[in-house]
Amino acid sequence: MAGVQPIVLDVEHPIGTYVNIYEARALDPRIASMRRKGGAVTAILLYLLEKGIIDSVIVARKKKGLKGEAFLAKTPEEVLQAAGSKWSIVPYTLGLKEKLLSPDVRKTAFVGLPCQAQFLRQMKMFPLMESDFSRKIYLIISLFCMGTFAVESFLNYMHRSYRLQPEDIVNIEVVKDKLLIIHRSGELEIDISEALPYLQHGCLTCPDYTGVFADISAGRSPESDYTVLITRNKLADKIVKDAAGEGYIELHEASVKTMDAILEKGREKVFRSYKYLSAVL
Amino acid sequence: MAQEEKPDILVYDLGGCEGCPLSILRVYPQLSRIANVYSRCLGPVDLNREYDYAVITGPICLNSVEHVENLKKIRKKSKIVIAYGSCASVGGIILYARGGQEPRPEHRIYAPISRVVKVDYSIPGCPPAPQMLISLINCIKRGKGYFLDLFRAVSYFPKLSGFDLMDEVVLNGLCVGCGACILSCPTNALQMIENRPDLIPEKCIRCGTCTVRCPRFSQLLIRRSKLFEKSRLLTSFER
Repeated sequence: MAGVQPIVLDVEHPIGTYVNIYEARALDPRIASMRRKGGAVTAILLYLLEKGIIDSVIVARKKKGLKGEAFLAKTPEEVLQAAGSKWSIVPYTLGLKEKLLSPDVRKTAFVGLPCQAQFLRQMKMFPLMESDFSRKIYLIISLFCMGTFAVESFLNYMHRSYRLQPEDIVNIEVVKDKLLIIHRSGELEIDISEALPYLQHGCLTCPDYTGVFADISAGRSPESDYTVLITRNKLADKIVKDAAGEGYIELHEASVKTMDAILEKGREKVFRSYKYLSAVL
Repeated sequence: MAQEEKPDILVYDLGGCEGCPLSILRVYPQLSRIANVYSRCLGPVDLNREYDYAVITGPICLNSVEHVENLKKIRKKSKIVIAYGSCASVGGIILYARGGQEPRPEHRIYAPISRVVKVDYSIPGCPPAPQMLISLINCIKRGKGYFLDLFRAVSYFPKLSGFDLMDEVVLNGLCVGCGACILSCPTNALQMIENRPDLIPEKCIRCGTCTVRCPRFSQLLIRRSKLFEKSRLLTSFER
């Protein structure tokens, strides 16, 4: 089901091969009430769950502070609960296999980062082990990713420079090129360049911005409040269109400006990876 | 559209634990739908004719003249050589052999076949799941793709294991803690400690699965292989 088009990722194809690029927005009042922008991924997951196409979703949810954990959501309420950005990479190892092998999970969708999508796609296309468990994964959704934070050192930096206790930080949001840090006694805006040194080094060598290995790549549109959806095969394209048909999302094709902005960011990440990889080759 | 002609595939075993031949055996029905399969399980095999693909399982015993010659003969006669399984591609557990294996009990120097001949694609895995071979051949027919690059890259590295993963990725500070390696390890030699994998050396069978599955290491392998190809060090070296 991985699509007829080969998966490629290089300077000429910084966002890989795709069928369509859309801009979408959730129409569901449950998502709108969460004051989040876009929300199309959550809406598609709700559509898949409520129509019985899948029976569960593997997502990351916040455990404590900025730490996340892999979580198997079986009801729309649980999916809604897990919506929102997580600021540390979630080691999906802890219990993912057991969760997937349990008999009450038959068809599931996975939401993760490009690196995790790559791993699962490889497991699905090229099973290297008899014990690979990717059979039950029906859909892989990858979120756009510019890199993940080395959480501990970033929190340490926040404490040193702004006297913010790690446990006081409620959430971090990206607003244009600023980081908005919401803490218990207010909000703090810092420039994104301040946080960049605290990216994980491995992320600097990763060329994949959109998640070329996923069925659907999704991320916030740089130009508007919509979510950009990149469908990479016919199945994914059908799911997105059906979700729009059922009234879960509002959908239109992405503007040239949006596509350019994404291509630019993708290219930026490819070049960044070449630069840093050459240091460790 | 005209019916596409089926390619000829030779499946040849050089010895070892028979896990890989068994894995391929299970996929014969599907495989014979897309190719003409020649293997000792299906009758006598003629090494003197030409094949489109040669799928080779098991390590090459460097003490055995007969095996080395057969391997070189296969290389000459086949368009694409695929090293299937950890022993054939990256060494695997048999690197630890101290005698007692086929072809003769006193033989003890085993190597991945890419040390003797040029290999086009290497598939690690102990053993790889049967579906793997079908996916790979379909991918080769399509001609390009990330994973094709990856398996071609592995053919340049006759040594990949959990130790390399630790050296090149984890201890190099490139690991982001995604957990792919831990979910790939067949012997549970890797464990997550404080969000980073750690290797239990005694448990690592050097199958190389984790290195191919790691998003960072696979990047590194592909980039390095491109450098090798560019420098022409390998192409000018007739093996």
